[in-house]
Amino acid sequence: MTQSTQSNAQYLNQLVLQIAQNNEQAYLELFESCAGRLKAYAIKCGSSASDAEDLLQECMLTVWKKAPQFNPKSASAMTWMYTIIRNRRIDVLRKEKPNLIQSFDLWPDSDFEQTHSDQFSSSLLDDDVESDLNVNLVRILIESLPEEQRQIVYKVYFEGKSHSEISLDLGLPLGTIKSRLRLAMKKLDNLAKEQMTWLIIILLTNF
Amino acid sequence: MANYHPADELLMQFAAGQLTNALGIQTACHLESCQQCQHKVRLYEQLGGDLIDISTPTEVDSGAKSRLLTNLHKLRADSAETSATSSNAATGNTATDNTFANNTGAIEDLDELYKKQLSGANQRLPRPLRRFLPDYYENLPWSGFSKSIQSYDLPFSDDQYTARFYKIAAGSELPQHTHRGNEFTLVMSGSFSDLSGDYNPGDFVLADSSTHHQPRAHEKEDCICFAVTDAPLKMTGFFGRMLNPFLK
Repeated sequence: MTQSTQSNAQYLNQLVLQIAQNNEQAYLELFESCAGRLKAYAIKCGSSASDAEDLLQECMLTVWKKAPQFNPKSASAMTWMYTIIRNRRIDVLRKEKPNLIQSFDLWPDSDFEQTHSDQFSSSLLDDDVESDLNVNLVRILIESLPEEQRQIVYKVYFEGKSHSEISLDLGLPLGTIKSRLRLAMKKLDNLAKEQMTWLIIILLTNF
Repeated sequence: MANYHPADELLMQFAAGQLTNALGIQTACHLESCQQCQHKVRLYEQLGGDLIDISTPTEVDSGAKSRLLTNLHKLRADSAETSATSSNAATGNTATDNTFANNTGAIEDLDELYKKQLSGANQRLPRPLRRFLPDYYENLPWSGFSKSIQSYDLPFSDDQYTARFYKIAAGSELPQHTHRGNEFTLVMSGSFSDLSGDYNPGDFVLADSSTHHQPRAHEKEDCICFAVTDAPLKMTGFFGRMLNPFLK
C-alpha cells in the first residue's frame, strides 16, 4: 500500500467525522471524491443510469444521518460507505415487495439494538492497530490476486452471479471458475487467520 | 460455539449483499452467535470497500450535487421540526399548527414500524428471525403427519429457496434420505447426529445430492432445525420410498 492511499483513506475518515458535526462543506467534498465511484458500483450491480443516480442520493442522505455513528477504528470511511450503499440497494430493490427482508434484518444496526456480537467486536476494535492492519492487508491482497481471480471476485460482489452464470459469461468450464474462486478464497482465508493471530496478540497484551 | 460453519464463499456473498432472502436470514442467524464468521464478514466488507475504492468513477449528472443539497436541506428542516414538535409537547405548548403533524408524517421512514415489530417479538429468538415468527419455537403451529418430524413454513421463501423449520422429536430418527439439490441446515435448538458428526445449536451444515444421511435427534430434547432447500428431499430407504410421494 502506498503512502497516498493511506492518506486518502485518512482524508475520507476526517470528512465523515466532520459531517458528524453537521459540516456541509465536508459533505460536498465527500460527494465530490466518492460520487462517481458509488454510482459506478450501482451500475455494476445492474441499476440503470437513472436508478443509480437515485441510489447515490439515498446513499448520501444515509451518510449524513449515520455520520454520528461512524467510528474510524472499526472500519474505514470507504468500507462504511460500501455497507451503506449495499444496504440501500437491497432496500430499494425490495421496496416493491413489502414485507420482505430489509437490510437491517441481515445487518443489525446500532439504531435498533446492540447485540452481544457488536459489543464484542467494538471492544476488540478499540485499537488503532487492528483497523490499520485491515486496511493494509486487504489492499495488498486485492493487488496481489491474479487478474483471473480478481475478475471472479468482482462478479460475486457486483453482479451476484452464480458459478454457472460466471462460467457462461467468461466462456470457461465450471471447474475452472470453481478452482479460481477457491484459490482466491484460500488467500483471503489465510489473511483472516493472520489477522486472528494479531487479534489474539492484542487481546493478550491488553489483559 | 459452533463447530460447523458456512463456506467462505457463502460468507462472501453475504457480505456482498447478494444472498437471497432465505439464505441471507439463515446466514445472519449463524453469524449472530459466531465470532469467527463475523470476523470473516468484516474482512469481506473491507474487500467491498476496497473494490469501490480502486474502481473507475462513472460520470455523475451535472445536477446531482444541487439535488443532494436540496434533499439535505429538506432532511435537516424536517428533523428540526420533529424536535421542535417534541419539545413543544414536552413543555405543554398546545400550538394549533397542524403542519408539524403533516410534515413528520411525510417522512418516508419505516424505521419506527420495524422497531415496534422487533420490540414486540419474542426476545429469545435470534434477531434476524424476530419479525417473522409469531412465537418461540415450542409454540409455533407445527404441522406434519408424523410425530417424529414436524415442520413450520417460514414466510420468506423465495424463487430459488424454500425456508422451513423442522422439529425432530427427541430420540427420533428420520428415514434415510438424500437430497435432489442443496440443503443448508442451521441447528436452532437441541442437537442431532448422523454418520458424519454431532450437530449443536449454531452449527451450519450443507447436504447435497451426494449426502445420504439418517439424522437422529438426541434423547433429551427435540431438535429444531432451520432448513433452506433448493429442491425437495428424496427418501431412499425402503420406508422412505413409501413415504416419498406424500412429501412435497
